[in-house]
Amino acid sequence: MNAFDLTEDQQDCLQELINVAMGQASDQLARYLDTFVYLKVPSIEQVRAEHLFDSLNEDLAATAIVSQGFFGYEGIRGEALLMYEPQDSHRLADLLGYEAGELTFDEQIIDLSSILTTTFLNVFANQIDNQMSYSAPRLLSGSLGSVNKHLQQQAFNWDLALKVRISYQVTDYSFNCDMVLLIPEEAIINIKTVIDRILAEF
Amino acid sequence: MLDALSKNISDQLNTGILILDHDFNILMWNRFLKVHANKSDKDVIGNSIFKVFPELPRKWFERKLSSVIQLKNQSFCSWEQRHHLFELSHSRPITTDSDFMAQNCTFMPIEGENGAERICILIEDVTDVCHYQTQLTKVLQELALANRIDGLTQTFNRKHWEECLASEFSRAVRYKQDLALIMLDLDEFKVLNDTYGHQGGDIALIETAKSINELLRMGDLFGRYGGEEFAIILPNTDLAGAEEVAERIRIDIANNIIEFQEQNITVTVSIGVAVVNEQDLRYEDLISHADIALYQAKKLGRNRVCIAKKKVVA
Repeated sequence: MNAFDLTEDQQDCLQELINVAMGQASDQLARYLDTFVYLKVPSIEQVRAEHLFDSLNEDLAATAIVSQGFFGYEGIRGEALLMYEPQDSHRLADLLGYEAGELTFDEQIIDLSSILTTTFLNVFANQIDNQMSYSAPRLLSGSLGSVNKHLQQQAFNWDLALKVRISYQVTDYSFNCDMVLLIPEEAIINIKTVIDRILAEF
Repeated sequence: MLDALSKNISDQLNTGILILDHDFNILMWNRFLKVHANKSDKDVIGNSIFKVFPELPRKWFERKLSSVIQLKNQSFCSWEQRHHLFELSHSRPITTDSDFMAQNCTFMPIEGENGAERICILIEDVTDVCHYQTQLTKVLQELALANRIDGLTQTFNRKHWEECLASEFSRAVRYKQDLALIMLDLDEFKVLNDTYGHQGGDIALIETAKSINELLRMGDLFGRYGGEEFAIILPNTDLAGAEEVAERIRIDIANNIIEFQEQNITVTVSIGVAVVNEQDLRYEDLISHADIALYQAKKLGRNRVCIAKKKVVA
């Protein structure tokens, strides 16, 4: 066990914070999208940097990745990757309430990613008395081969990734996407400090 | 004090700031926008954003802002998806070919006086980024092309041609389709080089490639295999079809008169033709069959087409 691993209590606490955040975020999304949003309990796992590629490779079907940076007080920061599967993407424009042809596929998934990421992280930040800012979302790549190539070319400066798998099911528009939160070393220490504070308050 | 400072700073920022109420009326803008939109306060403040900037895609814009209002989220719009939202002048009208400023826009919810909810739009000038990114993409495309092309003859180079053959071969085997290969070699090329010099030899290669190109169909893949050797992949073509193409190429080249330094050069080619058969396991097998036929054509006196013999299974 090293300084970046979470204890069992810390892990439970984080899972709970994420569950609540997901719950509230999906409620907001349902209202905004004007449809029911069903949501499974998100699975959380830690992935070490050197294993991330393998872990992403399991999702060979993923064809598009959108990245968005986030940063809050107390040194809580990281990068959120949203990964999509191709068959899910046909009716996103419908779902988002745009007219057909009004926006390109790229723009649809960037828009959706931004909404998913910021809605979730805003609620999450709120629970730990924090506040997030975001960089503009960027489409890393449209096809898996180049996604992997892109990731491998990045000189990542983080050691542990928190992989939060979210499966959204929206009535009539079923789609799945994985949200992977990449969190650099010192931000993990900062998150642990926040979690410990919450645990101490119980 | 802070208000005065903020005003001072916001008017010197190289980023546009626009504050709207929930009915999309403009409450405030900063100097950057005023200058680049070239409109005056009285035509802007208090007016609907759609009246001031009629170029905005209204439905899209309203939907975008509804997520900001309802979810209290930041929302973004990058030049890569939409070059610009607002038709603004930019600082490089001479050195770029952009008509309008390329923009990254951020939409965010903010709290106004008495807790009133407002929308703030930040507009960044990314004309430079857009310009260089576009140039980079263009250069990368050119590089990718240059990487596939033989500089002298403008046909595919050996490496790319072989990659094409590998993929055509596996496709043909998988779907049990015809695939033919033509390999051809200029006859007595060394003599030609000795007679007319290397420049003469180069011209002969260029002209030969040109005449072959004119005889090919869309989908045929033509490359320079080696020094004076060319190769053509003919997808969905049987032996008779390939032989016909080969014969036409042979006659065309033999009749072609190449002018070089007021001299007329004629060249002939020897051609080997092969088609994929069931015994072929690798694309290299197809090459060696065509190569053997080509050698046969040379041996039989050049300027002729030879067909690879079908292997008889004993």
